[in-house]
Amino acid sequence: MDSNINTAFQRPVITGDVLALNGISKNYGNIQALDNVSFTVPAGSVFGILGPNGSGKTTMLGIVMDILKPSSGSFTFFGETPHAAQRKHIGTLLETPNFYHYLSGERNLAINAAIKGCDPSDIPSVLEKVNLAERKTSRFSTYSLGMKQRLAIASALLGNPDVLVFDEPTNGLDPVGIAEIRSLIIRLASEGKTIIMASHLLDEVEKVCTHVAILKKGKLLTAGPVDEVLVNEDIVEVAAADFTKLKSIVAGMEGFKNMKEQNNHLFIYYPQGTADLEAINRYCYERGVVLNHLQLKKKSLEAKFFELTNN
Amino acid sequence: MLKLLKIEWMKVKNYTTFWVLSILYLISIFGAAYISHLIYESRPKDDKGMTGAIIGKPFDFPDVWHMVSYTSSFLMFMLGLLIIISITNEFSYKTHRQNVIDGWSRKEFILVKMLLTVVISLVATLAVFITAIIFGLQEDAAFSFEKIEFIGYFFIQALSYSSAALLFSLLFKRSGITIGVYFLYSTIIENMLAGLLNKYVDNFGRYLPLETTDNLIRIPVFKMIVSQLTLSYNTEALLLMSLVYLGLYYFISYRKFETDDL
Repeated sequence: MDSNINTAFQRPVITGDVLALNGISKNYGNIQALDNVSFTVPAGSVFGILGPNGSGKTTMLGIVMDILKPSSGSFTFFGETPHAAQRKHIGTLLETPNFYHYLSGERNLAINAAIKGCDPSDIPSVLEKVNLAERKTSRFSTYSLGMKQRLAIASALLGNPDVLVFDEPTNGLDPVGIAEIRSLIIRLASEGKTIIMASHLLDEVEKVCTHVAILKKGKLLTAGPVDEVLVNEDIVEVAAADFTKLKSIVAGMEGFKNMKEQNNHLFIYYPQGTADLEAINRYCYERGVVLNHLQLKKKSLEAKFFELTNN
Repeated sequence: MLKLLKIEWMKVKNYTTFWVLSILYLISIFGAAYISHLIYESRPKDDKGMTGAIIGKPFDFPDVWHMVSYTSSFLMFMLGLLIIISITNEFSYKTHRQNVIDGWSRKEFILVKMLLTVVISLVATLAVFITAIIFGLQEDAAFSFEKIEFIGYFFIQALSYSSAALLFSLLFKRSGITIGVYFLYSTIIENMLAGLLNKYVDNFGRYLPLETTDNLIRIPVFKMIVSQLTLSYNTEALLLMSLVYLGLYYFISYRKFETDDL
């Protein structure tokens, strides 16, 4: 009994799934913005939601934040049916920075903090974290796009939440700002926070995410740990003056999974870590083909993304 | 509840537009009564009480409660405007979304706006109350709370106009169109409809939403003539209809915000 009383005043320790979506669909008239999307976000993960513009990323996060109503399906936060008080412990930046234009950055954060029920003494430190302390007394309407975005990130950090939801967090930031936010996200992840991040910037996701879900036109194409989704392959790119002969002898080679040609280059696919460039070179040379191009390529998230979203 | 209002206070505390309009509105409550008083003062005074018998003594207690409530009721649009600004601002800044994202339930957001209509109406009513006392004390008759019910009617009218403004804001969302529709509806369209209904549908026009509360405070001067010329009004029925409409404004506003995509 004692332990119950003690824990009642502490924030729940999150284990298991932070968020679980169960067959969420959303229609806007004839347009199906989300089509039966289900996946789970494990605690402690950096979960990237990828998809081209208009693929339903923001709609999905909007539903989870109760600002949009799903047409069907349900979701749970921390294994419970969602309710408003849970959102007080989730720091969210959704789509655009939403602030009172006539108030200063500081006063805007005071409103956010009051709604979240967190200590307003957090405000200076979160402003410091996003390098906005100098301009805290300026009206929001005087901020540049990048500063507005920083303020939105500062607001999400109020109350040191265990779960953060970022929708396009680097929108409008300059290259330095992008790098800063990226390292902030990495730092937050290393503190054990769960981060759900929607982005169309693949590079961004690839650099920080542990898990990824890919959406296209409202459909979930794939979801899971990055290593599983990006079944990594070694790709060896080769070319020679006599392309026809190159093709025929490479076809007789052993160990590779697949072969494709494009622009007089041959792409040979190997299971991860098994491609041996020296052996390939020797094999071809011994059979009378001199390579004029030989390169090992790691399959990038970008390639995977295009592969998944193009067909 | 107090916590919610405190957050609403943080939103308006540094909002210049709101304060400029509010202060001008409060001055105008006094101003409207003052202009009427000037007109009243310009009546012929050496006619052996003839005009007095026709006009009455609207600035003496107890009629001053009625008179000042009446002159102030012409400024109802301004009350609605304050509410419209407060709500359409949230839509244009998308802060209604942010409030919900930060952990307010939709219910809390709309509840606070409903409370705002009550608070603003109370402040306006207080201003009318004070103005009536100021004008009443300038006249000969002794202070009296007789006919104080008109202050209550004013409060109901203010609540009706401000909660109608809340509903209009939720329906139209953008400030320009909301202000335009609200202004035209409250000043012209409904009066036109009321005229038509009064003419063709058994005087039903007096029970249109805003008309109902307008009719609680009828013209306070020329009472003898007016009562001969116009319809008879049933105050209890008007009060009942006012409450029905108030309930509807709040209920529809609540349902709409609770179920809409924000």
